[in-house]
Amino acid sequence: MPPLLDALLALTMVALAASALLDRQLVRACSWFVAFAVSVALTWWSVGFAWLALLELLLGALLTGAFLFHALDVKLWAGVPRRRLVRWRDPVPLTWRRGLLRLLPALAVLAMLGMALVSLADSTGPLQVSGLVLIGLGLWAFVLHRHLLRRLLAFNIIGTGIFLILMGLVGEQHPAAGHGLVVTGLLVALFGTALGALLIRRLSALEVRSAHCAAGAERGGA
Amino acid sequence: MIERLGGDFSVVLLVLGLPVLLGGLAACWQPRRSWPIVAFSLLPLLALAGLFYQVLPQGEQTWLIELGSLTLQWRANGLTLLLLLLTQVITLSSAAYAPAYLMEEIGREGKQVWLWPLQGVLATSLSLIWLAGDLLTLYIGLELMGLAAVGLMLLPGRVDALAAGMRYLLLALVGSLAFLLGVALLLGAWGRLDLAGLALAAEPGMVLWVAVALLSAGLLLKAAAFPLHAWLAPVHGSAWTPVSALHASLVVKGSFFIALQLWLVLVPEARVAAWLVGGLGGAAVIWGGLLAWRAAKLKDVVAWSTVSQLGYLLLGFSLLIGTAPQVAEVAWEGTWLQLAAHSLAKAGMFLATGNLIYSTGESHVRGLAGASRRMPLSLLSFGIAAISLIGLPPSAGFTAKWLLLHASLAAGYWPWMAVLALGTLLSAAYIFRVFRYSFVEDAEPLDYRRVPWSMELFALMLALASLLLGLVAEWPLMLLRAAGGGS
Repeated sequence: MPPLLDALLALTMVALAASALLDRQLVRACSWFVAFAVSVALTWWSVGFAWLALLELLLGALLTGAFLFHALDVKLWAGVPRRRLVRWRDPVPLTWRRGLLRLLPALAVLAMLGMALVSLADSTGPLQVSGLVLIGLGLWAFVLHRHLLRRLLAFNIIGTGIFLILMGLVGEQHPAAGHGLVVTGLLVALFGTALGALLIRRLSALEVRSAHCAAGAERGGA
Repeated sequence: MIERLGGDFSVVLLVLGLPVLLGGLAACWQPRRSWPIVAFSLLPLLALAGLFYQVLPQGEQTWLIELGSLTLQWRANGLTLLLLLLTQVITLSSAAYAPAYLMEEIGREGKQVWLWPLQGVLATSLSLIWLAGDLLTLYIGLELMGLAAVGLMLLPGRVDALAAGMRYLLLALVGSLAFLLGVALLLGAWGRLDLAGLALAAEPGMVLWVAVALLSAGLLLKAAAFPLHAWLAPVHGSAWTPVSALHASLVVKGSFFIALQLWLVLVPEARVAAWLVGGLGGAAVIWGGLLAWRAAKLKDVVAWSTVSQLGYLLLGFSLLIGTAPQVAEVAWEGTWLQLAAHSLAKAGMFLATGNLIYSTGESHVRGLAGASRRMPLSLLSFGIAAISLIGLPPSAGFTAKWLLLHASLAAGYWPWMAVLALGTLLSAAYIFRVFRYSFVEDAEPLDYRRVPWSMELFALMLALASLLLGLVAEWPLMLLRAAGGGS
């Protein structure tokens, strides 16, 4: 594949990740994430890891996406009712001050990692660079957001960044070990997201119930 | 598929597979009594006896497992055997404690079916960690353990349990990402994942330091090492008693074990960094002890005491890495004996605490007023476990701390001796605070529930084991020396 297309793909991937992390509208953020996972699958395929592309498509896009939408109680075949969209909005706005302040730990990790990578490889490949950017973005979002679902998204994006760096480093020389680590990592990310999604769903159900109980008690008291 | 450098591989597969299998069976036919659990748990113990029989005469054994072009490496030595035995004994006790506890205390609440398979997965993943000789196996074991532990914490299904579980999940996931990134750097730099090979290949430099920093940060976060310990107490406060016992005694030790192994392999001469970790350990001993002393809830006392006791293990880092061989030898034995003693004592203490809470219906330390007359047996178990935690003779905790003290003296680390002395005083203080409340005589009588005998029995058994291990401390130490695994 020509380098122009490669760069375009990497840019698309980063842009999609940024949209998924920055969109306060959660249903939309999850849709961005699924698109991001598809772009990651394309990247794997373009660098010749067909199996990883397939797994990413299946585990990363399809199953993780299904669990994320399950957490939001959205059924794709039934459409999304308007009032849900309002409910599933992260109420905490992003301010410049907080955003910049929380950028520091992400930058520190990136600097450390960047130095290690530079001293490690003779030429830093495109996979490492986009992986680094994804890790930075994800870390920043992870410390910035309070909402559980947004933190799950950030975790998934950091994970993808790590997989990209890993395969960029060792994909050529030790494909078996690299594949073993990435496949384990993908499964862990899937299980972690599934547990988190079920938890978010259950917590919000309990909240609704306790709100109902409180309302009922108020009515009864009056 | 399996290249045999060591002996029979099927025994290892049995040791690993049986816990999951039994957990699955127990999910299908949920046990209502303790004796079937004990009877079936003899099977993995028998398999482990087979492994003992195989490893003890011949010394350390290694197996290479080839899956396609991927090679995994597993090994078993004296330390592995000790930890495997510890895992099976504690899992057995907490599983045998569970039926009466679930029936009497929990009723029909929560998702009880899941308790059994998750416990099985936990035992298997821990065994995998003890056996692992390469980073991929360690990663798989670590992740399985983390996810099973989160699942177990969520079982009560109440809001506080779910909220604490969610925090635990996020932090476990972040810890595992840091671990994976560290492994990726190591693989990229030296092209291998087996610990023995890395020990020879790894060279000091920027990459090694960043990798070790990432690995240690992830693992110490999961091990609740000071100052990354804040998640531990809330998680235990809302979990079921047998789950708390398993978690505090085994799960946090898994991450500690991996971290220490990696340091010994990758940076065996990093004296200053190890000293820093030891300093964190010292701070943990004192800070955890203080918070346990101030804690209002009974379970929080026990949870904070875990933070404090894990500090002693972190002291082991500084005594093992970059010190003279004779210091390291003593510290090696002291560290693992402390791990074994604390695991048994803490599991026993959590079960005894569960009994006290069950009987009085009170979760606060103050609620124990007058308990000494009604439930001497639960208090006895609590006290026996406490002997080992404080480090009084003849318990295993005493022997372990004695060895650590000896190593600190030989290494000339004077501050550590102050830490050991202060830690002992603090643990005595928080234990006697519990006893002081339970011996209040003029309390108004509460409704006491009689504790089922199986719950009393297994709490007492674990506590006694931690005490008796001190009397036969020569035996685990011999195991550590005999079958290799050296420092």
